[in-house]
Amino acid sequence: MEYEDKAGRPSKPPSPKQNVRKNLDFEPLSTTALILEDRPANLPAKPADEAQKHRQQYEEMVVQAKKRELKEAQRRKRQLEERCRLEESIGNAALTWNNEILPNWETMWCSRKVRDLWWQGIPPSVRGKVWSLAIGNELNITHELFDICLARAKERWRSLSTGGSELENEDASFPAADREASLELIKLDISRTFPNLCIFQQGGPYHDMLHSILGAYTCYRPDVGYVQGMSFIAAVLILNLDTEDAFIAFSNLLNKPCQMAFFRVDHGLMLTYFAAFEVFFEENLPKLFAHFKKNNLTPDIYLIDCPQSNLSGKIYFVPLLTPAGGRVLWTPQSPAAPAGCFCPPQTLSSVCLLTSRPAPAAEQARSRIFTLYSKSLPLDLACRIWDVFCRDGEEFLFRTALGVLKLFEDILTKMDFIHMAQLLTRLPDHLPAEEFFACIATIQMQSRNKKWAQVLAALQKDSRETEKGSPPPRH
Amino acid sequence: MAKQYDVLFRLLLIGDSGVGKTCLLCRFTDNEFHSSHISTIGVDFKMKTIEVDGIKVRIQIWDTAGQERYQTITKQYYRRAQGIFLVYDISSERSYQHIMKWVSDVDEYAPEGVQKILIGNKADEEQKRQVGREQGQQLAKEYGMDFYETSACTNLNIKESFTRLTELVLQAHRKELDGVRTRASNEMALAELEEDESKPEGPANSSKTCWC
Repeated sequence: MEYEDKAGRPSKPPSPKQNVRKNLDFEPLSTTALILEDRPANLPAKPADEAQKHRQQYEEMVVQAKKRELKEAQRRKRQLEERCRLEESIGNAALTWNNEILPNWETMWCSRKVRDLWWQGIPPSVRGKVWSLAIGNELNITHELFDICLARAKERWRSLSTGGSELENEDASFPAADREASLELIKLDISRTFPNLCIFQQGGPYHDMLHSILGAYTCYRPDVGYVQGMSFIAAVLILNLDTEDAFIAFSNLLNKPCQMAFFRVDHGLMLTYFAAFEVFFEENLPKLFAHFKKNNLTPDIYLIDCPQSNLSGKIYFVPLLTPAGGRVLWTPQSPAAPAGCFCPPQTLSSVCLLTSRPAPAAEQARSRIFTLYSKSLPLDLACRIWDVFCRDGEEFLFRTALGVLKLFEDILTKMDFIHMAQLLTRLPDHLPAEEFFACIATIQMQSRNKKWAQVLAALQKDSRETEKGSPPPRH
Repeated sequence: MAKQYDVLFRLLLIGDSGVGKTCLLCRFTDNEFHSSHISTIGVDFKMKTIEVDGIKVRIQIWDTAGQERYQTITKQYYRRAQGIFLVYDISSERSYQHIMKWVSDVDEYAPEGVQKILIGNKADEEQKRQVGREQGQQLAKEYGMDFYETSACTNLNIKESFTRLTELVLQAHRKELDGVRTRASNEMALAELEEDESKPEGPANSSKTCWC
């Protein structure tokens, strides 16, 4: 649309060189700055043949530019069609999920058909529901429990803001100081959660939700408290669920063994996970594995999510600590959205499309249009990984990591330690989604007929036994 | 491939969460400043080559997570460092007090002879200042460190402090460096140095006087 607009009306006022331009049916955008002029009056005029030559050259340039523009226009058209097709298939999938799968969840969720559909990505409109169901609620958290925890958290915030400074000095050496530090850290981190989206920051629409969930969690699990990285997980859940359900999913997700190990920084268990990962790494990508070994690049360096430091909005990495969360960012690319940090309301509405909240019809139509124009790959991609993570559990996080390694295998084999570490902690802006998932699909999570869980269990048993026996001297 | 640098060091940034470690780093390596960074989890990497005393020094800078919980992880990186920035925020008394704890961590986990430098960041936030300049100087003196007040925002003392720490590391390793140079200042010796880096760095290695 936008293209035709621009192409339709010449953006320059008529110039003295009308005669040159007249026979062009449209003005190529990229040559609007290129105008063929005669020499200024105070200089001798060009010789006729030179003028002729220049005109010819100019016309050639314009023709070239026009060709490029046309190609670009075709590309955009194809892209638009592709997106329409995608939207349609998402619409169809949403119907299947809503009408067939969700009503028969217990019997259907592990069927082949559903698993295949699941792999394609869950439609945003049912995503929250599916995640909730798949994560489950082993902890039996109720909405009331959330309210109680939240009330307690609010109590604490109040006491912190009224008598905060005194408390701080008195309790400096008590665990209470830790809790305070936790609450302060939450505040600090909320401002650093998807800063580009501008929806979680102070004054943003999801600020209070994020604050509530993280605060309530520190009251629900004071033994775990707030750990950096959690804010991203909560944020991704908030984009797809209501506050209470996001809290339930959040608490249950963090309660899974793998997440617990990493958020409590249980170093021994983390090492076991890394060891298991390396088993599959060697199995799937032996050459790269050898290269990593040679360069002494260990999983603790590249598997722990390390959200990158620049702002440009390419965040996504191996979703270990934060299942894909730490590195998700949604980059607005619609013509309406500026590349900068401030998101106009339209941008927000297309983010809302990712939520499960039933949107009014008009809103839905609007959002739909915006997804046609806005490319939300990074967040989409991260959500797709969460989708399959919900289906397959922790092993998928490691499988994804191997998929990343596979995707970059050729480049990585040519790199030294620091470049590899840099690449892996700061993946490029746009991972090609399909290619990436194709890479993940090639990763076999079987090693000598043993599945992930078996390999992990065996390694855990080993490490327990070593502990029981003569503990190996560390350092 | 011709070497773009003569020596390589690792520098580490540590300090409480939110004191501006990542900002310092971005300002130094890319001359960029963003007020809204994302919290660092685990460790992040940047590198830059600078010239000190005619020696091209490639520095790898490891940026760590500030939260206490992550120290089990970040500690692992201490022993690979030759130089460490201890960073606090002049607008946060707490981050200043915690420097003591960070120093003791360094003493415990970093290799002997590691060079340290104290940084009071966010010096542009004068109206929010909680830690006086003298306090910083005093603390630095106690621990025998150099001290800089910096601002990643206004680009105050960034280059200076990174260069200073690099100089200190160079000085501390002067002997080895001279060795390298007298051995005919040839490529081979440098390459040797280079090779060290790719060797496994088990704890056993740390006792060796090794650059990397």
